[in-house]
Amino acid sequence: MILRADLHNHSCLSPCGDLYNSPSRMVELAAQRGITMMALTDHNSARNCPAFAVSCRRHGIFPVFGTETTTQEEIHVLSLFAEVEEALQWGEWVYQRLPDFHHDQERFGDQVVVDEDENILDIEERYLIPGIDASIEEVAQETLRRGGLVIPAHIDRSAHSISSQLGFLPDTTFSALEVTRLPVEMDTRNHPLICSSDAHFPDDIARRWITFPMEDSTGDPRQPFNALVRALQEHTPALSIASGDPA
Amino acid sequence: MNISQVISQLQLQSLHDCWDDGPLSGAYTSDLMSDVMAHAKEADLLITIQSHKNTIAVATLVGARGVIVCNNRPVPEDMLAAARQENIAILVSREDQFSVSGRLYNLLRGE
Repeated sequence: MILRADLHNHSCLSPCGDLYNSPSRMVELAAQRGITMMALTDHNSARNCPAFAVSCRRHGIFPVFGTETTTQEEIHVLSLFAEVEEALQWGEWVYQRLPDFHHDQERFGDQVVVDEDENILDIEERYLIPGIDASIEEVAQETLRRGGLVIPAHIDRSAHSISSQLGFLPDTTFSALEVTRLPVEMDTRNHPLICSSDAHFPDDIARRWITFPMEDSTGDPRQPFNALVRALQEHTPALSIASGDPA
Repeated sequence: MNISQVISQLQLQSLHDCWDDGPLSGAYTSDLMSDVMAHAKEADLLITIQSHKNTIAVATLVGARGVIVCNNRPVPEDMLAAARQENIAILVSREDQFSVSGRLYNLLRGE
């Protein structure tokens, strides 16, 4: 079968995200729009992943769990894992390095932890946006060490990207690079490319995706993630964006 | 020293006029917003090339009065809108952060 994967999405835990973008609503919309694999990647936190897991199960979507981490250089990097528990432990590693700025909810929007039925479980008190005390190299190496995929986000954007913060691709191993438009102007040193929605609002879910093959389901819960890993290793994902499309 | 004096002395371009011309306490120069959050002070001016609406969010957080965008960097429309709403001045300079910081230091310290 061919999987259609949208690997970068924010829920109501991200302060810049919509309060109504609960994991259950996101997954429902993604399923309606033809997505078969979806990742939840809130800023510097994986605390909505348990609700996301249940929602994906309900809608028959293969889940991927992770964060969009802000590195010391203020570069946004996706770390993706096969299982909730791995993402939660990764989230702990990130949170321990997150500066302790109090979150001003009135001003910057809510940071809400919910369950699969949109019940509020907690309000995150620490502001989730700042750079953590770890470089892009450390984030990449730690993610890979834990068996995850590490993908610098929107490398072609004018803020919070490898191009805006460094201007070049650092000499570190990445699983892929996320782009928002083609062709890519930066030297990508033959890394595989992905594109994804980076949705903060319901309307943006499933606006970009990649497709790649997976063999018939074996029932192994890690099989879809392994298929993604293999597709990236073999450079086989097809992007939903085409050269010259607007970002 | 207030913003209008800084504008005329440093020949800055002010992109909107929804800001308070209150006294400045100082300035902070950095392009890393987490560093600004940790070290900038109330009523400062921020000197940066980070021309992004998040810079306005950080300015609001620390209580800065305005942002000097260096090197004539273009200011996106959403940054301008956020600045108007939060009463944060956006002042554009043709000079780089070193020159703006040096000149502003002399102005604020009265040399």
